[in-house]
Formats: sequence, structure tokens, C-alpha cells
Amino acid sequence: MASQKPKNDIGKLSFEEAIKELTEIVGKIEQGEIALQDSLQQYERGMALIKHCRTILKQAEERIEKISQPEAEPEDSSKSEDKS
Amino acid sequence: MPKTTQIYTVSQINSLIKVALEETLPPQLTVRGEISDWKHHTSGHCYFSLKDEAGILPCVMWASKFRTVKFAPEDGMAVLATGYIDVYTVGGKYQLYVEKLDPGGVGPLQLAFERLLAKLQSEGLFDDAHKKPLPRYPMRIGILTSESGAALHDITESIRSRWPCARLCLYPVPVQGEGAAAAIAAALRDVNRRNKKLKLDVLIVGRGGGSLEDLWAFNEEVLARAIFDSQIPVISAVGHEVDTTIADLVADARASTPTKAGVVAVPDIREVLAQLTATEQRLTNQVDARVQLAEHELLIVLASAVFRNPLALVHNAGQRIDELVADLAEATRQSLIEARRKVSAGYEQIVRIEPHRLLGRKTLELNGWQNRAQAGISAIMNDRRIRLTAKENRLTAMNPRSVLQRGYSITTNKKTGLLVRASQDVQVGEDLITELAGENFIESRVTRK
Repeated sequence: MASQKPKNDIGKLSFEEAIKELTEIVGKIEQGEIALQDSLQQYERGMALIKHCRTILKQAEERIEKISQPEAEPEDSSKSEDKS
Repeated sequence: MPKTTQIYTVSQINSLIKVALEETLPPQLTVRGEISDWKHHTSGHCYFSLKDEAGILPCVMWASKFRTVKFAPEDGMAVLATGYIDVYTVGGKYQLYVEKLDPGGVGPLQLAFERLLAKLQSEGLFDDAHKKPLPRYPMRIGILTSESGAALHDITESIRSRWPCARLCLYPVPVQGEGAAAAIAAALRDVNRRNKKLKLDVLIVGRGGGSLEDLWAFNEEVLARAIFDSQIPVISAVGHEVDTTIADLVADARASTPTKAGVVAVPDIREVLAQLTATEQRLTNQVDARVQLAEHELLIVLASAVFRNPLALVHNAGQRIDELVADLAEATRQSLIEARRKVSAGYEQIVRIEPHRLLGRKTLELNGWQNRAQAGISAIMNDRRIRLTAKENRLTAMNPRSVLQRGYSITTNKKTGLLVRASQDVQVGEDLITELAGENFIESRVTRK
């Protein structure tokens, strides 16, 4: 149960947040600040974060979203997505 | 024929010179020179001279022309003065009637650029303190440029080649001509206003190369202020390497050309992936080392005596208990012997005292004392009794009632209950009570006194 929850929240992290947490985990483990049991948990989380980062990096979006919409706000955004 | 010397009037000469000048010089000319002796008269007209290393040319600029001048001329300033040469007959001199005055060799745009540069610099708009840090891994990038320009392609390609995972968002804006700067500024403010929804990490504002006039929108104050006010970090990507615009200076970061925008804006995905792999390796190595260390520690613990022979502790403890039990038995035995020895020694002492004989002796002694005490007490009692009888006899003799035995009586007033000692103690008619010996009473009445 305890290990299930954090795994769910990793998917919501931005790339930057994931990298930040990953850096913290590596730092903690390298400095030997945490107990063996914790370090194994942190290792698993670290691996999940790396996987999440790779997933983000694999995304490639060829389309260019158009965001101009000076007047008609809701309509314009859908139109512009069709265009490009 | 020219024997007779022709004499001209001053006015004639001036007129001839005027005509000569008009015939020789173009009707409009531009002179480069340095301003000297600048005088802006209260009438609004300007009087000054242009000079170079060798000479000096008087100039005048009417107030109506001076109104178009966009800078403040001053002594020593290099300028291009455009106008015509005419003779000022009143002063007897020719002068340049200036109709247009430009900074020397420098166009009005350049001058305006320098003025705005100085102004914004003094306001601190270019200070590093105001530069926002760029996001390290931008995932949503806003691009403000012309939809039809080459710059859009250059920017998007430079980003995608390095960082294909980013989402690119285009905000088409005009990038040259009248109103371009205001349009880009408005777009910047619009994007900032909507960024809760748009979630852009960074903005790129740019266009391709061109003349100073083409790039002019990026040198206008309205755009500079909008870039400065943007909450989202702004990267400028304008023109060629050599062009530096005001926008470049105000922006949080500058790409020298649109094709360099990617290098400034995004990391190289290959490097990031390599870092991820390195981090993964580090993490694994660290945890492996950690586990190995723990296993090693476990082996050391297992190798210790306790684990090699776990019963040793129990056996040792058993032995200790046995020793203690033996010690206890021995100690008990010793104290018993000691106690027994003390009892028999006490018995010997008691036997030596011969209690039954001692008791007989003490009984005799006690009887003697008892007899003597009883004799003493009897003697004292007799003596006391004799003395008491004597005292009793004397006391009986002193009792007032014993006087009554000898014939006396005691009279009291029956009413008052008081003794009657004199005749005034009673009244005639009152009753008297007379007590005689043997508790006999007589009651009588006073008839006379």
C-alpha cells in the first residue's frame, strides 16, 4: 500500500520536479544519510522517477499549437488547432 | 577696354555674388560638419556655424524648420545639415540656410536607438538583477513571430532538433512595419495574462535579419516595456549576429539569430538522456554498495562467538548458577555451625550459674526483707492510731454543741434563721427556736423585751 501511493503521484510530476526529486534521492543515498531499508525504497522511487522522465522525453509533438486569440476566446483555440 | 575701372556699390557686389552662387551651387546641398557657437534664439530661430579642421561655415535654421529636428544639437556635435547657400547681404556674408539637420553620418533611427538605450539603461531595464532564470527543461514554449517568416521555421527546427519533447505554441504577430512593436507588446501581455491556462515555461520573441528599419519594432520602447514586464522568461532572437536590438538587451536571454534560439532555450535531449542513464547507474551502484556493506556487516556479526556457539552463553550461565548454589550451601552450613557453637556455649554458662541454688538463696533473702518490712509498718500504724485518738478527743471538746451538754442552748430567730445574740435581734411576737443538747428543739414566742 505504502509503495503504491507514491508511484501514482510520480505520473503527475513535471519533468523538472521529477529531476529535482531524483537529484535529492541520489544525494541522500550517496551521503549514506538513510537506513538500508529506506535506501531500498528510495532506490525504487528513483527508478520510477527515471522511467517517468524517459517517458516524458519520448513524447514528440510535430504540431504547432496556435495560441493567439485576441477577441473570441473559446472558439479561436479550437480553430487554430485544426489549422496547423 | 577695361581701362576705366568699374566701380560697384556694395549692393551690386552682393547681388553679383548671390547670382554667382546661385549659378554655381546646387539648389539643395548637404554639408557635413561639427556644430560650433550654437545659439537658439528666443525667436525660435537657430544661429550657428559648421566647421571642420580647415574652415567655418555660418548657418541659420528657421524655427519652422528646427521643429522637425528630433535631437538637441549642441557644440561639438557632428551633423549633416541640408539646405541651400545664400548671401546675407545685411551681414555681408554667405551662409547655409539649413532646412534639415541630422546627426552626423548617423540616421535618425540610430539616434533614436541611442536615446532609448540611454533612457532604459538609466532606468535599469537591462540590469542583470531583473533577468529571470530560464527554465532548465521547458515543456511548453511560446513563440511570438510572424507566421509567414523564415524565423518561425528556424526557431522551431532549432528547438526540435535538440528537445523534441517540448510543445511549441505560436502566437503570430507582425514583426515589421507600423504598429508591429505595439502588436508584439500586446501579444506578450496577452500571453502573460492567460498563462495560467497556457502554462508556457518560456517565450521566444524574434524575426529574421533585415535592415535597421526592418528590425525597428524590436527597438521600440513599447516592446521593451512589455518584455520587461513579462512574468514568463523571454528570449529574444532577432536578426543576424551583428544586430543588437533594445529587445535583446531587455530580454532575459538573447539568441543571436532565430536558428540559435533552440540552443538558448532548451537542453540537448541526448545529454539529458545520458545524465538520466548516469544517474540510474549511480543509484544502482550506490544501492548495490549499500547492500554489500550490509551483507558484510551481517557476516561479521554472524562470525562473532555468540552466533558460532549460541549455547555457550547458556552453559556459562548454568555454570555460574552451580557455583552460586555451592557457595550458598557452604555459607549456610558455616552459619549453622556457628549458631550451634553459640548455643552450647550459652548453655555451659547457664549451667555454671546453678540457677536452682541461686533461687533458694534469693528466696530466703526475700523472706527476711518481707518480715522486716511488715514489722516496720505495724509499728508506724500503732503510733499513728494513738496520735489520732488523742487528736479526736481534743477536737470533741471543741465542738460548740458539746457545750449544750453542759446546760447551754442556742437560740435562733425562726423568721430570719439568724442566731439571737441580743434583744434587738428579735421583735415582739416573733418565734424563737432554741436548740438543746441531743438535737432537741423548743419553739417559743417573744412576749416582751
